[in-house]
Amino acid sequence: MTDPTPSTLPAWLQAQKRLRGAEVALRHKRLGVWQVLTLTQVHSQVLAVAGALQRAGFGAASSLVIVSRPRPEALLGALAAQWLGGVAVLLDPLDEASAQQEVVRRLAPDFLFVEGLSELTLATAAGLTPGLLFYADGRGIADPSLPSWAQLAAQAAEPLQPVQARPQGSAFGFHRLAAGGVLESQHLSHAQVLEAGRLLVATECLVAEDEALAARAFATSGQARYLLGPWLLAGFRLNFPETLATRDNDRRELGPTFVLGTRHTYGRLHEALDQRLPVPGSLSRHLVDWALAPGNGLWQRTLGQWLIRKPLRDALGLSRARVPLLVGAPLDPAAQALFVRLGVEVRAWPDAPRWQSTQDAGAVAPHGALQPV
Amino acid sequence: MASHPLLELQGISLSFKGVKAINDIGFSVREGDICALIGPNGAGKSSLLNIINGVYQAQQGVIRFAGTERTRMRPNEAARQGIARTFQNIALFKGMTVLDNVLTGRNLKRRSSWLEQALRTGRAPAEDNRQRESAERVIEFLRIQPWRHEVVASLPYGLQKRVELARALASEPRLLLLDEPMAGMNAREKQELSSFIVDINRDLGTTVVLIEHDIGVVMGLADQVVVLDYGRKIGDGTPAQVRRNPDVIAAYLGTHP
Repeated sequence: MTDPTPSTLPAWLQAQKRLRGAEVALRHKRLGVWQVLTLTQVHSQVLAVAGALQRAGFGAASSLVIVSRPRPEALLGALAAQWLGGVAVLLDPLDEASAQQEVVRRLAPDFLFVEGLSELTLATAAGLTPGLLFYADGRGIADPSLPSWAQLAAQAAEPLQPVQARPQGSAFGFHRLAAGGVLESQHLSHAQVLEAGRLLVATECLVAEDEALAARAFATSGQARYLLGPWLLAGFRLNFPETLATRDNDRRELGPTFVLGTRHTYGRLHEALDQRLPVPGSLSRHLVDWALAPGNGLWQRTLGQWLIRKPLRDALGLSRARVPLLVGAPLDPAAQALFVRLGVEVRAWPDAPRWQSTQDAGAVAPHGALQPV
Repeated sequence: MASHPLLELQGISLSFKGVKAINDIGFSVREGDICALIGPNGAGKSSLLNIINGVYQAQQGVIRFAGTERTRMRPNEAARQGIARTFQNIALFKGMTVLDNVLTGRNLKRRSSWLEQALRTGRAPAEDNRQRESAERVIEFLRIQPWRHEVVASLPYGLQKRVELARALASEPRLLLLDEPMAGMNAREKQELSSFIVDINRDLGTTVVLIEHDIGVVMGLADQVVVLDYGRKIGDGTPAQVRRNPDVIAAYLGTHP
């Protein structure tokens, strides 16, 4: 039973830590081994980084711009910023580089967290001089004046103010360069993230025993509402792949029960599936199609389940997928049909981000200057 | 940049049945540098690499590595002293996985006895974990995690080259000898491997001696270029110096500046 009173994301982290501090909250594969972080460790790292942000002048009117692929530091950095009442602005480093650089340049953040050297180069090329710039992966970064995430997280957490976030305050910000070079934004408040999360947890019956794998599209409103919010609410384990290139292997190893993907995610799985199936028109493909066809015959069901469905679901890492969800654009009908025949019924959740054109000045900074949509 | 030479060769000569493959060659490589050996086929580049790591024994001359002078050394001794290499033709255990191949590079770092390893007692279990972690660090460094459990024979050529580099790196060498690491690669693969060689040199401080035919790659990578021709050294200096050397231009580059 969790405390019903939390109304912001960091408050939920605090409540979960009080209730189940020793339980595993995050897992991240490093050097071939899954490293774990308990809720207590997550909480203390968030506090340590929030302390470093505060010392650097971060306050309720500030934003932390995070340019990172999915990794625990990006999530914990967002929570640290939110703890102080600020906004976590997530940018995807895999977006087109020149547009990304332009977005970062226009945002001109005072607080910036980058994943590694290439993201740092992006910031440097944009001519930025943030008050605090820190990074996760130090490979190739020669500047000793830049602190790493590990250095900040290892600092003793100083007494912080209680959670400064407000339910209606902006929790996440997303920005993109639209046609004509217009900077568009969307903000999600704590209340919006938690409301969407609560609905998903209740509808899909997510529980603390579930396992989720963070998807490639980390810096999206759909992930914030349907993955990060539910993670704090339900208290399940959130797993981060070793790298984006290993995420298929990692999914196979984990067998997550909760899969939140986009059309691209399932499209990739569909392609992988197609490559494993016999060539269309061949005898073996007819047999596979027969075994997978909906029917009640005992032979058909048994053969289909043990010889086709189960091995294919294992190969895709969907063997335990109890809650396979899709956010954003709908699936290709052929892909949808094939997943259904495999017994993976992908359910779509609405994600209609409302992008607003914004002025360059103050696009990130003033808390509440942009109304959450 | 360090100023002390890690490797010094003086008056090295090697003959095969009376045919001089290498004739009185001498040069030194500073610690932390990338040195490229260039020259036409048959110039003696690979033979020189084989002398440095003890596969061939020079008939004349002296090699000084990390301050220790020697005239003869076996390959296993060279490996113990911190010299690792890759080969012109990939020499991996093709039926083994990437991880197992990289782990073979850690063999010299093991301290447990064969009996402890066979029975998995004493120092062996803890050592296994340490070796695995070290191998995984190299795998991460060279970004071959997605293929760590793949059998090497199933990988494309460029990746196999990277695995061979990983195996050499796993022994934590002070000097890395690369024999045509980019042979047979396309432009993208060359660029990728070049950046890994730079990373190895910069981040791990490993001194690199490499043989490469792609002059563009050499000039972009190397701090020092040694030019061989018919077993003789005809040039030695920075890429800019070598580019202006008239002997090199005449014998190798074949064009006038």
